[in-house]
Amino acid sequence: MKRVLLVLLVVAVTAFVAFAATPIKIGAVVPLGDITGDQSAKAMKLAIDEINAAGGLLGRPLELIVVDSELKPEKGAAAIEKLATVDKVDFFVGGMASSVHLAQIPVMKRYQKITIWSGAASYLCENAVGPDADWYFHLHPWDYQQGASYGLGWTELAEAYPDIEISKIFLAYEEGGFGSASHESYLVLQSQANQGEGSWAAVMGDYMGVSFKSAALGGGDYRAMLQQAKAYDPDLFVWAGYDADALPMLQQAKEIGFAPKFFVGAPPGWPAHFGDSPLAEGVTLYGMWAPTINKVSPTAEHFWNAYIEKYNEEPATYFAPLGYTNIYFLAEGIKAAGTLDKAELIKALEEVEYASPIGEVLKMSPSNVIKHQGFTGQKILQWQGGEQQVIWPLNLKTAEPIYPFPSWEGR
Amino acid sequence: MKITKSLVIIMLLIAAALLPVVTEAYFISVAITILTFMTLSISWDMMLRTGQLSFGTAGFFGLGGYTGIIAVADFGVDPLVGIILGGLLAGGVSLLLGMAILRLRGLYFAITTMALASVFMVIIRNLNKLTGGPSGKIVYTTLFNYDSVKVYWLMLGITVGTIVVSEVFQRTRVHFAIDSIRADETVAKSHGVNIYKYLIFVFVVTSIIQGVIGSTYALQYGFVYPESSFSAHYLLLPIAMALVGGIYSTIGPVLGAIILGLSSEYLKLIMPYGHLIIYGVIIVVVVLFLPNGVYGAIKDVTGFRKRRLEER
Amino acid sequence: MESISFMRKHRNLFLLIAVIVVVAIWKPHAAIYGLQRGSLYSLVGLPLSLTLGVVGIMNLAHGDFLSLGIYFVYLFATNLGMDPLVSIIPVFFLLFGLGVVIYKLTITRVMKSGHLNQLLLTFGISMILLEAMNVIWTSRPRSVYVEYSSSSTTIAGVRFGTYELLYVVFAFAVLIALQLFLKKTRLGQATFAVGQNPQGAKIVGINTGFVYLFVFGISIAILGIAAGVMVPRFAIFPSVGSAFTMKSFCLVAMAGLGNLTGILVSGIVLGVGEAIVQSIPGYAGWSDIVFFGVLIAVIMIRSLRRQSL
Repeated sequence: MKRVLLVLLVVAVTAFVAFAATPIKIGAVVPLGDITGDQSAKAMKLAIDEINAAGGLLGRPLELIVVDSELKPEKGAAAIEKLATVDKVDFFVGGMASSVHLAQIPVMKRYQKITIWSGAASYLCENAVGPDADWYFHLHPWDYQQGASYGLGWTELAEAYPDIEISKIFLAYEEGGFGSASHESYLVLQSQANQGEGSWAAVMGDYMGVSFKSAALGGGDYRAMLQQAKAYDPDLFVWAGYDADALPMLQQAKEIGFAPKFFVGAPPGWPAHFGDSPLAEGVTLYGMWAPTINKVSPTAEHFWNAYIEKYNEEPATYFAPLGYTNIYFLAEGIKAAGTLDKAELIKALEEVEYASPIGEVLKMSPSNVIKHQGFTGQKILQWQGGEQQVIWPLNLKTAEPIYPFPSWEGR
Repeated sequence: MKITKSLVIIMLLIAAALLPVVTEAYFISVAITILTFMTLSISWDMMLRTGQLSFGTAGFFGLGGYTGIIAVADFGVDPLVGIILGGLLAGGVSLLLGMAILRLRGLYFAITTMALASVFMVIIRNLNKLTGGPSGKIVYTTLFNYDSVKVYWLMLGITVGTIVVSEVFQRTRVHFAIDSIRADETVAKSHGVNIYKYLIFVFVVTSIIQGVIGSTYALQYGFVYPESSFSAHYLLLPIAMALVGGIYSTIGPVLGAIILGLSSEYLKLIMPYGHLIIYGVIIVVVVLFLPNGVYGAIKDVTGFRKRRLEER
Repeated sequence: MESISFMRKHRNLFLLIAVIVVVAIWKPHAAIYGLQRGSLYSLVGLPLSLTLGVVGIMNLAHGDFLSLGIYFVYLFATNLGMDPLVSIIPVFFLLFGLGVVIYKLTITRVMKSGHLNQLLLTFGISMILLEAMNVIWTSRPRSVYVEYSSSSTTIAGVRFGTYELLYVVFAFAVLIALQLFLKKTRLGQATFAVGQNPQGAKIVGINTGFVYLFVFGISIAILGIAAGVMVPRFAIFPSVGSAFTMKSFCLVAMAGLGNLTGILVSGIVLGVGEAIVQSIPGYAGWSDIVFFGVLIAVIMIRSLRRQSL
């Protein structure tokens, strides 16, 4: 009898140990062929390795399985299917392009696994997900949220620095989905401002938007648009395009002699060594993160050093710290809940406050349609001396703003 | 011989229909994508058989997609009806355009069809109210609510239908007309073949197929987006599949779609970085060593063996 | 290849100059920008006309060779500090060598397999090139800073950039060089003959294989010239040249096979058309339609003039 009990005990313990050692599987879908997806995946892997080195979660190791979305909607959707049915992951993370995400949403709705998504900014995605998706957590600010946050930023900057006056806004937007969404957001903000409402009420007196074809999509000739901007003479010139547009836009502005008081770029990323160019000085940018945040956030500094040590390259896009955040946010939730039970975990994730390497604290709050939205705004930064310095939010500031935009003479 | 051939075909059909029962959702997704490209590839080949190289595949694919989504979103029709409407609109547009452009030949026809596809995209991108403009448009009622098994069976049905149409073209009078046009138009004309009528007929039929596939694809995922719905992806890949499998046949594009479709998905899983390089290498190798495509090579080998046997 | 009479060639050029002058008076900036960008389209389109007209290949990798040339120029500039315009010389020969090697390794074998196989081959090569550049250099754009790339001048109260006039200079230079080559050199005359009638040329004893090899190599090499002059003004990323492939095909279709001067004229006409539409406030998004619309119109009109092309 004792021997039977002993055998049963051994079997039970082995089974328990075996079960306990089964990894918690996290499935990520990112565009590996693009630098945003590549660095996002690497940052996630870094986070996973750190958590596992500290003992894993709930006594189990984490396993990350990454599938390339190839920036194609059907491939992105198939990737979700693969992760759900073949790899049988417990969670979905990742993301970048809105058009890919639109194809993934119907698939995700079938599995309803807890999803922490760091990509997609188009409000169409939010509408597609709908208000009932408890399992959906979205980290990236929606396009309309980004626009609103800048209004707050400019208002505070105008208050804090008396010589800054902002009233005329010109937006150059690339003619695809990304740029047009910016333009539409600004139109909404303008109609609110005209009624004295919304975050741009104090700074948007006049607004003009003109489209251009991005260099990334075969265009790259902005001169017609820049001529219109020059004639309009705005206080704030903003261009919403891609990294490939950054330098040519400045070159052509110099060529036609256009130097607005604030020259603001809003691409998702910047070209390599942009800071080294003489044309970069004083260029303002909208962004979610900059390496200089290391100065004001210990997590950011830790992430920066750990990433460089592991991969021998610098994080070049905000998708790197965002990917790291993606994993840690989920991990904090699991730790707090103490279980993988879906309902419990959702409740725990709703309460998580994570000091992210992006700079601010990540906490969920409702957006227009969904219940669980993470970051709701971006930052205003400026290229100074070859580095991106934060000029707003004022409590995360790393330098004083250069105003007005330096003249082209001698550059 | 004929009975065995029909039996083989019936067995293949049953196997294909039963696929969802034995595999998981991921393989079904891959299969749906392969079927999508397979039909596009067959439809492109059908036009090719008349001697006309068309680069308009992506254009009608996108038009069908937009028609389907707009019909469901703004007019509340059922997705299945939306699919039919997508095909009809593509067919109608191709009829009107075809009457104008089917007098062109060779490179000029190809470039014109490609230019037209781009024109469709630019127009749709600028008609914000109707099409959602550059941000695209979504619907909440997707096809079968994305029950991928049902979508698969629908796609399988459409693909089989396309194969049947293609084979009908290969076996009836249409075949003789088309072949003779491709071989020598002057001779064909002198035999009384109304070249123009046949070209328009084939152009419209293939455009309808492309429109149907386009709307099925769009309604599966519930969205259209100018850059992706009209992407050159839907033009170049079906052409590559037909060439790799073997042009001027139905089996060629079928084989090509299966080979390239499967290898692109699995290469990606094995080689997360740089898998497209291998994919390009596969295409180059096939072109260099199998100039008649895989099907052509099979025919050559079996024909060669047959002749060797006969020689004995 | 169609033979072009001297008078007709001049007529098109005079027409073009007249059109540009009219546009310059109405919308000066559009005329200048259109002339500049249009010349760039022509510069990139000329080598494709050679490949298509003489060798008969639809080179879908055309734009990707341009991107590769751009990366070569970038390497010379960042590692050796060479000015991009100066690096045109080594890149020209590098690309010529590359074109010759690729031709010998792959294209010779499909010369007999028909146009579609050639198309598929170049599609595969395009994919390999594009992905290889993506893996080696990533999709993150790079740039080469050249001080005079944004210099400008003001004439008659109109301020415009001067760098892009180099596109015009190089486009004309390459066109003239090609015309001289085709008319005055033995190899050039052989090339012309092969383009007109490959069978006939072979019978007469011309080594068509060598002509094809040389022409393919030269056409890739000319992309090196375009690359060198583009680098100071363009962001450098793997798909930077891709858009030029289709634009070049459009130019060849619009000019007609074998019409080199027509490429220059068509490129400038389309460039000016685009620029005019872009300068109309609110209609910039329609400028692509001008490009394709004019293209379709020209092809259709030409086909109506003759029974069939």
